[in-house]
Amino acid sequence: MELRQTLRTLASMAILVVVLVACQQGESVDVGDPGTTQAADGGTVGTSPPDTGGGDETAGGTLIAAQGAEPDRLDPHLTSAYASFQILENVYDTLVQPGDDLTMEPALAESWDISDDQLTWTFHLREGVKFHNGRDLTAEDVVYSFERIMDPETGAANAYRFESVESVDAVDERTVEIRLTRPTPNLLVNIGGFKGMAIVPREIVEDGTIDTHPIGTGPFRFVSSSPDQGILLERNPDYWQEGLPRLEQIRFVQIPDPTVKLTNLRTGEVHWVDSVPPQELEALAGDDSIALERVPGGDYHYFALNHAREPFDDVRVRRAIAMAIDREEIAEAAQFGAATANQTAIPEGNFWHHDYAPFTPGDIDGAQALLDEAGVSDLTISFMVSSEFPETVTQAQVIASQLEPLGITVEIDDVDFSTWLDRQGQGDFDAFMLSWIGNIDPDDFYYAQHHSEGGFNFQGYSNPEVDDLLDQARVETDQEARKALYDQAVEIIVDEASYIYLYNPENIGAWTTALDGYHVRGDNAVRFVEASLGS
Amino acid sequence: MTGFVVRRIGQMALALLGVSVIVFALIHFVPGDPVRTALGTRFDPDVYEALVRRHGLDRPLVIQYFSWLGSALQGDLGVSFRSGQPVTGLVLERLPATLTLAGAALAVALVVGVPLGVVSAVRSGSKLDYIASAVSQVGVSVPDFWAGIMYILLFSLTLGWLPPSGYVSPLVDFTGWLRHLVLPALAVGLVSGSIIFRFVRSAVLEALNQDYVRMARAKGLSRRAVLFDHVLPNAWIPIVTVVGLQLGFLLGGVVVVEIIFAWPGIGRLAYLAVGDRDFTVLQGSVLYIATMFLVINLVVDLLYAWLDPRVRYD
Repeated sequence: MELRQTLRTLASMAILVVVLVACQQGESVDVGDPGTTQAADGGTVGTSPPDTGGGDETAGGTLIAAQGAEPDRLDPHLTSAYASFQILENVYDTLVQPGDDLTMEPALAESWDISDDQLTWTFHLREGVKFHNGRDLTAEDVVYSFERIMDPETGAANAYRFESVESVDAVDERTVEIRLTRPTPNLLVNIGGFKGMAIVPREIVEDGTIDTHPIGTGPFRFVSSSPDQGILLERNPDYWQEGLPRLEQIRFVQIPDPTVKLTNLRTGEVHWVDSVPPQELEALAGDDSIALERVPGGDYHYFALNHAREPFDDVRVRRAIAMAIDREEIAEAAQFGAATANQTAIPEGNFWHHDYAPFTPGDIDGAQALLDEAGVSDLTISFMVSSEFPETVTQAQVIASQLEPLGITVEIDDVDFSTWLDRQGQGDFDAFMLSWIGNIDPDDFYYAQHHSEGGFNFQGYSNPEVDDLLDQARVETDQEARKALYDQAVEIIVDEASYIYLYNPENIGAWTTALDGYHVRGDNAVRFVEASLGS
Repeated sequence: MTGFVVRRIGQMALALLGVSVIVFALIHFVPGDPVRTALGTRFDPDVYEALVRRHGLDRPLVIQYFSWLGSALQGDLGVSFRSGQPVTGLVLERLPATLTLAGAALAVALVVGVPLGVVSAVRSGSKLDYIASAVSQVGVSVPDFWAGIMYILLFSLTLGWLPPSGYVSPLVDFTGWLRHLVLPALAVGLVSGSIIFRFVRSAVLEALNQDYVRMARAKGLSRRAVLFDHVLPNAWIPIVTVVGLQLGFLLGGVVVVEIIFAWPGIGRLAYLAVGDRDFTVLQGSVLYIATMFLVINLVVDLLYAWLDPRVRYD
C-alpha cells in the first residue's frame, strides 16, 4: 500500500522532471544566492564564492576562476598549454611585456638601449625585484632563463624565438646584454610576448620543482595544486608594482564541459570563466549578475590548400576557392556574429593592418571562369578539421555549401587534434583549417607560415618574391618602411591564396559583476594583477 | 578454495598483461604523436628531435613496450610525458574520487533497482509493474552524460539546490562532499539501477514460478515467508552477477560523467591522456581500472560459493 503511494509519488516526480527540463530551454534563471558557505581555503572546488572579507572594503578577496582545459604542467618554458599560461601569467614576469594596446612595455627590465648597428641590446633590470622565495632577481637569472629556452635539450617550444640571438650575457648584477646575428626589430616581442619566455630562478629547475611549485617574480605566488582543489595562488606582498595586486587569493578550478562551466558562473559558484562560446552570448547578456566583454582580437581563422597536390598547385584553383566563399556568412555561422570577416590576417585597428580585399564575396562566376581556365571540374576536397575546435567543423560545412555551385564536393574529415597535427606535419591533407592565436608582431603572422623555408609552411607555398620581402621586413628597423614591406608581401600571399583568410574572432570574457579591474585583452592573456572583488 | 583463488590471481596477471599490450598497440596505431601534441603548433625541429630522443621514442615499438613492462613489473609505471609527473602519483591522487563516485552510484543503483525489481516481480502485471518497467526502459536508454547535464540545469541552475559540479574531500567538508556527490551519482547510478531492476525482476519472476514455491505455498507458508526464505535466496545468484558486472561498468562508465561534473577522477585523467597521446598515463589509469574490475569479478565468484551451497571451487 505504502509502496504504491511511494511509486505514485516517484512517477509524478519523474513527470515533473521531464516537464521542468522541457521548460528550461535556455531561459536565464538567476538563482542569485552567491552564498557564504566556504572559505576559499576550505578546500572546495566550485563551491559558492566566499564572502569577500567580512565587510572589509580594501581586501581584494579570493577569486575563483574556472578554466575549460587542464593545465598540463607549470614549467613556463616547457608547457604549450593555454590553460597553464592562464595561471603562469600571474606568477611569472618577462623582461618586457605587451601592454594593454599590445605595444611592448617595461616589466622586469626598466629600460633598454640598442647599439647603432642594431646588434646589441642592453637591458637594465628594475631594482629590488624579489622571487617568491625571497631571493633577489639578478641579471644571471635572465641569462640562465634565456639559455635554458635556447638549449634544444630543454625541449622548449619557444627556442625558435631566439633564432637571431647569438649570446645573452650578464654585464653586471642588473644589466643584461643580448647580442644578435642580425637586426631584429621584433626582439621585444620575441623575448617578452608572453610568459613562455618567463624569467625563472635556477634553483627550482635544478631541484626539479618547477613543474609542481613554480616560483616567479609575478603578482601572485603559487601555494598548492591538487586535482580536487585546483590551483591556489596568493598575493605576493613584495610585488614590484606598488599597491598591486589587490586580490588576496586566486583559485583556478577546471571545468571541462562548457555548459557546466557557464552554469557555475550563473549560479555564482565561480567568479570568472576563461571563454564563452559565442552561441551563449545572447543568454548571458540577459543576466544582470554577469559582466560580458568583447574586444577585437588579433587571432585569425583561415584554411590552406595543399600546394603539393593537384590541382591545388594551380594558383587559379586556389584563387577560385578564395573567391567563391563568403567570409561574412562563415563568420556568422561559426561565431554568431562575434567576428569580423577579413581577407588578410591582421585586423583593422592594428598598426600592421593592411586594407586589402580583392575578392568579391561569393563570386561564383569569377571562380567558375578561373576553374574553366584551369580545366578543373568535378573537384573533391577533403577538409581536415577537428571537433576539438568545433568552429572549424561548422566552417567546413558552410564552405561545403558555398562551393557546391562550382561542382566542388567538400568532404569533412574530422579527426582528433593530435592526429590533425600529425597529418599536417606529414603533408597528408587536401586542405586544413585552424586559427593562429596570440600573434603580436607581423613576423609572427607571416614568416613561418609563408616563407618557403618557414617552419609552419605546411601548405608548401613558395614564392621567391615573398621570401625576399619577408626577409627584408624581418630586419627593417624603420616602422613605416617595415610596414610597407609587409603590405607588399600580404598582397601577394592573398592573391596567390597561400592561406585563405576568413575572419578575426572577438575575444569574449564573462565574469561576475563583483569583479573589478579585469579586462579581456587582445592577446587573450589572463592578468589578474589589477583585479579586485567587491560585493 | 585456496587453489582456486591462486589460479584466478594467475589468470588476472595474464589478463592485465593482455590489457597492457592492447592499450600500447591502440595508442601507437592511431595517428598522432605525443611530442608534436606537447609542443603545439609552433616549435623548432631541433627541440622536437631532442624530446623524441630523451623519451626514447626513436626506439622500435617492441623495445619501448618491454622497457615499460620491465619498469612496471618493478612497480614503476613511468613518468607522464605531458606533465613530467610520476604516473603512480597521478593515478593514486585521483583514485579516491573515482571510487567514491562508483560506490555512490552503486548505492543509488541498488537502492533503486533491487526493491523495485522484487516488488515488480511479486506484483507482476500490476500498474506499478508497468510504470516501473517503462521508467527503467527510459533509464537504460538515456545516456548518462545527457542526464547529467539535465540534472545540472534542473537542480543547480533552475532550482539552486545543489552545486553544478566539482568535488570536495569528505575530510574537509562532509556536507559539501555529499552535496557535490548527489548529481553525478544519480547520473551514473540511475542507468545501472534500471539495468539491475530488470535483472532482479526477471530473476525473482523466474524463481516465483518454480515448483518449490508452489510446494511452499501448498504447505501453508505465508507469501512473505515464501518470498524471503525460498524465492530470494534462489534469485541472488543472477542478481550478484549483474551487480558485479554493473560495478565494473560503473568504474569505466564514470569517464564521461567525470568530465561533465568536473570530477577529479581517473576517468578524466585517462581521457586527457588519450588526447595527448600520453601513453604512460593512459596505460597506468587503464591498468588500475582493469585491476579493480578483475578483483570485483573474483569477489563475485567467491560470493557464489557463499550464496549457493551447490557451488564449490575445488
